[in-house]
Amino acid sequence: MELTYLLLAISMLFALVATYLAIVEKSLVKAVVYSALQSVSFTLALYLLKAPDIVLVYLPITVGVYPAAILFLIRKTEEVEEV
Amino acid sequence: MKKDMIVAVCLAIVIVIMSYIATLGGGLGPLFNGVRPLTIIYLNTTLNIHNPNFTAMSPEAVTAIVWDYRGLDTLFETAVFYLAIIGSVAIYRGIDEKLRISEGFGLSKIVKVVTKLLIPMNIAIATSIALHGHLTPGGGFQAGAAMAVIPMLLIIAFSRYFLLDIRLSRGLALALRSVGLLGIALTVFIPVVIGLVNGLNAYIMQNQAKVNAPVSLPAFVGSSLISGSLIMYNVSEFLAVTFGFTLLFILLSIEEGLVKEQMRGEGVEH
Amino acid sequence: MNINIDEFLANISLISLIAIIGISLYGIFARPNIIKKIIALTIFTDAANLLAILVGFRRPPSIPPVLLNLQPSPEDIRYFTQVAVDPLPQALVLTAIVIGMAVNLLIIFIALQVYRLYGTLDVRKVRRLRG
Repeated sequence: MELTYLLLAISMLFALVATYLAIVEKSLVKAVVYSALQSVSFTLALYLLKAPDIVLVYLPITVGVYPAAILFLIRKTEEVEEV
Repeated sequence: MKKDMIVAVCLAIVIVIMSYIATLGGGLGPLFNGVRPLTIIYLNTTLNIHNPNFTAMSPEAVTAIVWDYRGLDTLFETAVFYLAIIGSVAIYRGIDEKLRISEGFGLSKIVKVVTKLLIPMNIAIATSIALHGHLTPGGGFQAGAAMAVIPMLLIIAFSRYFLLDIRLSRGLALALRSVGLLGIALTVFIPVVIGLVNGLNAYIMQNQAKVNAPVSLPAFVGSSLISGSLIMYNVSEFLAVTFGFTLLFILLSIEEGLVKEQMRGEGVEH
Repeated sequence: MNINIDEFLANISLISLIAIIGISLYGIFARPNIIKKIIALTIFTDAANLLAILVGFRRPPSIPPVLLNLQPSPEDIRYFTQVAVDPLPQALVLTAIVIGMAVNLLIIFIALQVYRLYGTLDVRKVRRLRG
């Protein structure tokens, strides 16, 4: 058994759970946090897939810049999604 | 909340069972067995001093593809980036900001001191990523993304008026970004100019000599490898991406009250 | 039953990636709030990018597409072509992520403008109010 495949499968399943929670969550701030968790597990997957360039560009953008921008937008508009 | 978590875990279990069934039924085809012939060509010529007419002279195959083999693609991607930023600037046209002193805004003193300590390190890392982009994993886009964290940190920790205090206005960010784009544009035409002056064949965005176009930019300075035009593209793209994102964050942090006031003052429906 | 465990684990990654694409498409089409749509859109982009990287992967032992030797001999280059992963999807995804972020920020500004003009980010209400 190859450790790469095992860690890859675990990180993808974790990303699946985080994605589902991000989509169904009513509070938008929590949804952004779940989306950042999904990005972290995708980063692990990219590292395992031997793509260091993508890790370098993906980590600051989707864990740092993008949640901050969405949080700015949420602070200026609505915080709760009404279904 | 708890119900959602249970549903999510059930979903994960369903995926595992489905994969088991798929594997029993012969799998989803042979996974990850070898690569395409095109890839072999790229890997074979990225730094091949024994084949001087086809090499890109960079040990980093990704940077070589981004700025040499598929350089025009990246050029047009940069144009899309430019247009996205111009669109954002157009939404905020005609909105002036009042100058204010940044003292009294922002987070607590501890956060400010930690941010001040972080920023030089972040600048050092980003510059190193940009300048070694042709040797190790990294390059202009990666360095720009790493550097774009700094204005975000400054705006959150010190408030946006701090950026105006250090004279980083919208106009300056736009100008520095244009310097980056100009650097890319000049580097595109350097081989053509060299070819015209010496009466040789040359292509746009050419890096190393080809069979019928013997113009090549210097791959070594002294004994250190700079990979011809790749280092210039990386540094220019670093400037363009960094200040493009800085400009977008400055726009994003303009107070909403100010914008609404000026929109109402104009009396114009956008 | 006797199955190849590596293939099983690789199938889990592939199928959960497809499931992530499905869930995020549901988020884009069915959720009413524009911010939720933006979040779902970024997850969709990331999953598509990761799928592209996954296509270019090679069975381990493989290495990233970076030559470690600055004066490579022909043997070094032959070994490199036999073990390095595909650099082409990585180069395409690299630009796609940065440009996608700039386009996402443009979408964020447009959402902000929608909120300024309509006072809501719910697409059902926006549809009813005519600016």
